[in-house]
Amino acid sequence: MTSATSALSVRNATKIFGAQVALDNVSIDVAAGEVRALVGQNGCGKSTLIKILAGFHEPEPGIEVLVGGESLALGDPIASEAAGLRFVHQDLGLVGNLDTVDNLALGQGYITNATKTISWRKERAKAREALAALGYEINVSMPVAGLQMSERTAVAIARAMSERGTPPKMLILDEPTANLPGPEAQRLYQLVRRVADSGVAVLFVSHHFDEVFEMAESVTVLRDGKLIETRAVAGLTEDELIELVVGRKLEEHDKGEAADREHGTQVLQLSGVGGRNVSGMDLTVHRGEVVGVAGITGSGREEVAALVFGGHERSGEITVDGKTLPQNRPDISIDRGVALVPAERHANASLLDQTLRENITLVDPGRHMSLGILRRNPEKADVRVWLDRLSVKPSGQTEYNMNQLSGGNQQKVILARWLRQEPTVLVLDEPTQGVDVGAKADIHTLVDEAAAQGAAVLVCSTDHEELVRVCDRVVIMRRGKAAEILRGDKITAENITAATIGRDTAEPAA
Amino acid sequence: MSEIQEVAAPRRRINFGFDKYSGIYVWALLVLVFALWIPDLFLQTSTVKQVLTFQAISAIVALGLILPVAAGAFDLTIAGTLTVSVCFTAWALTNGYGIVVAAGGSILIGIIIGLANSLVVVKLKVNSFIGTLGMSSILIAIAYMITDSSQIVLSTSGYAPFFEFARTELFGLPLSVYYAALIALVFWWILEYTPGGRYLYAVGGNPVASRLAGVRVGRVTMIAFIASGASSAFAGIVYLATIGTATPDSGSGYLLPAFSAVFLGATQIRPGRVNVLGTLVAIFLLATGVTGLQLAGAPSYVTQLFNGAALIVAVALAARTARRQA
Ligand SMILES: Nc1ncnc2c1ncn2[C@@H]1O[C@H](COP(=O)(O)OP(=O)(O)OP(=O)(O)O)[C@@H](O)[C@H]1O
Ligand SMILES: [Mg+2]
Repeated sequence: MTSATSALSVRNATKIFGAQVALDNVSIDVAAGEVRALVGQNGCGKSTLIKILAGFHEPEPGIEVLVGGESLALGDPIASEAAGLRFVHQDLGLVGNLDTVDNLALGQGYITNATKTISWRKERAKAREALAALGYEINVSMPVAGLQMSERTAVAIARAMSERGTPPKMLILDEPTANLPGPEAQRLYQLVRRVADSGVAVLFVSHHFDEVFEMAESVTVLRDGKLIETRAVAGLTEDELIELVVGRKLEEHDKGEAADREHGTQVLQLSGVGGRNVSGMDLTVHRGEVVGVAGITGSGREEVAALVFGGHERSGEITVDGKTLPQNRPDISIDRGVALVPAERHANASLLDQTLRENITLVDPGRHMSLGILRRNPEKADVRVWLDRLSVKPSGQTEYNMNQLSGGNQQKVILARWLRQEPTVLVLDEPTQGVDVGAKADIHTLVDEAAAQGAAVLVCSTDHEELVRVCDRVVIMRRGKAAEILRGDKITAENITAATIGRDTAEPAA
Repeated sequence: MSEIQEVAAPRRRINFGFDKYSGIYVWALLVLVFALWIPDLFLQTSTVKQVLTFQAISAIVALGLILPVAAGAFDLTIAGTLTVSVCFTAWALTNGYGIVVAAGGSILIGIIIGLANSLVVVKLKVNSFIGTLGMSSILIAIAYMITDSSQIVLSTSGYAPFFEFARTELFGLPLSVYYAALIALVFWWILEYTPGGRYLYAVGGNPVASRLAGVRVGRVTMIAFIASGASSAFAGIVYLATIGTATPDSGSGYLLPAFSAVFLGATQIRPGRVNVLGTLVAIFLLATGVTGLQLAGAPSYVTQLFNGAALIVAVALAARTARRQA
């Protein structure tokens, strides 16, 4: 691979944040039409590399970047765009209070008619078309903040793919499928294929290695900011890839323990619960039990966690240990021992410009108060224990701001916030979104432990392997109803997938 | 990847805390400049006293404003509340009510204004900037009604006990300065060392996430507005006891300085968040600059000029450091 034929050629990329080397002399080449995966553990520097290419981060001197053989001026988003680089960032980079039409027009301008006024009709039609190509049918005149996460991802992708002044040379996607359930991810794969076939290079980040094998021709592995290796995917096994990423073999986790767990008394009870998409849902979760919730987008899966927690309006009754949870009162739910790790950590859980300490103790900031004063040192020590337990990197930095962490590490901080509460009912909504393979296994172990200590756990997830790993029972949502329940040996990723898109006539839920 | 490139070691810059404490350095610089320029006018205890006394009222208003701003809400009623408080207190005193009724009534009015603001912002979901802008217009109207569109003058002889409330001196400084210091201490404690402070900053940072972490967002916002209303009302009482005259535009000069101090303060001590110590640094920095210039013979409009320019420069510098660190 010489840089003359490369769509992208990066030499010696280094980035230092304070005392921390986020990216250490990394070089990478991607050929035109090639699909390249970029993998590595949380905080290994993937997003940092991408943000340098996008002109958001200023790299250390010594770097050289060629796009299609021409040198790229760094530190300037407009230059990156003009050079033909197109991005979907980990946080998507949409403007929440603007609608889809406006978001697509950002940076590329609007369609105008003879009098230079914007032709909204044409704009809307174009936006609808762009999203239809991704298999989405959404209201393009609604602020994107009100869209589902998967829909917002689609808008960001549509924006990256749309026609701009210069033709795209390279599409760069930072964890595009983190928020996309299976079938929607499939559509993205097809789209990526088409783009690559038209000669555009693709670089994508993913923690889901099945995607690497399905989509990519080659894979670049980073570890602790350093380039480990770039390899052809052909001939590589998943275990080998994991070893390259983690730097050691990962122990096998099986769910022997989970299956034998003895379940205690009923703790969480839903009867006739309804919300926007969900209606008439009944469910009981016992002490020490882990119940999964699966379903395609629109099935009601994405709403269950918030309904249980009292995050928004609902009908029906929910009790914890026999006590009713009022709707719309998360504070009371928390007092009754319920914890919610919500999906979409940025919108629903993070104080981005506050410290990890403040983020973690937000639920009960008064725990370390004495004589009318919050004691910072015991608080730090307490928080440090939890940061370590979730192996948040860089380790022990209680005073880092949330936005100084990588995406996966932010997710771990939110998990730490709630596991620290030692809840009676632990509700997890996409708990390992954006988390790397190693950390994911650790989190699953923590969920096991919480259940072993008597928590009733509800896991809503589009990651079916995850449900297989942690659940004793999986509830399948279809059309707003708990349509089916899988138990024991029936809990396999294939069965879950089949059931979520399945027939409505199957064995009804108990 | 043929040649081996040395990775630069992390650049270690000597850190004098220029980011966090730049206000204090600038303040020291100002003192030095004026001390050399106009030593016989500037280096006087009377100058110190003048700066502190003049700023006591502004400081109380600005300190109250910190709470709603920390919680992510603007409170533009601070000047209107101060005006209403000044007018009501003067009206009550001149109509034969005692000091306790006049002052207590004023504080109560401040609390009610805070409640009304939070009703508009929390329940009616009106944007706080617009909601409190509307409210402040209403307050000005009320001030006109109370004073019958004219001014109420309290004679020094007739209301001596009331004037003592602010003018009595302790260690050479009037009581008003101690009130400001006490309020600063209380708010500093709340914001830095109590769960309430955490809640305020959390709501300001991300109200949705705060709610899902069990924070009563509406209640926190309400308390912030009430604290702000009560502080402004208290500042009104101190104002009247210092100046002795109530007019429907007594408070008009307090809105911008308070906002300047709070936003300038957000670049100091704890950069990126509004905070008590930063606000105090900002107030005294601005006051020192303005007083020095006035003593040196600058025209009176220099106050506005200096306040405005300092705010823009400070916030622009802070934005630049934030970008560098990102
Ligand atoms: N703005 C910042 N300030 C300080 N440190 C930062 C900043 N952004 C990233 N870092 C640090 O740089 C390192 C690399 O982060 P990066 O976001 O590139 O990781 P990543 O590989 O994308 O991880 P993930 O899989 O979790 O998204 C991390 O250790 C992170 O803490
Ligand atoms: Mg990342």
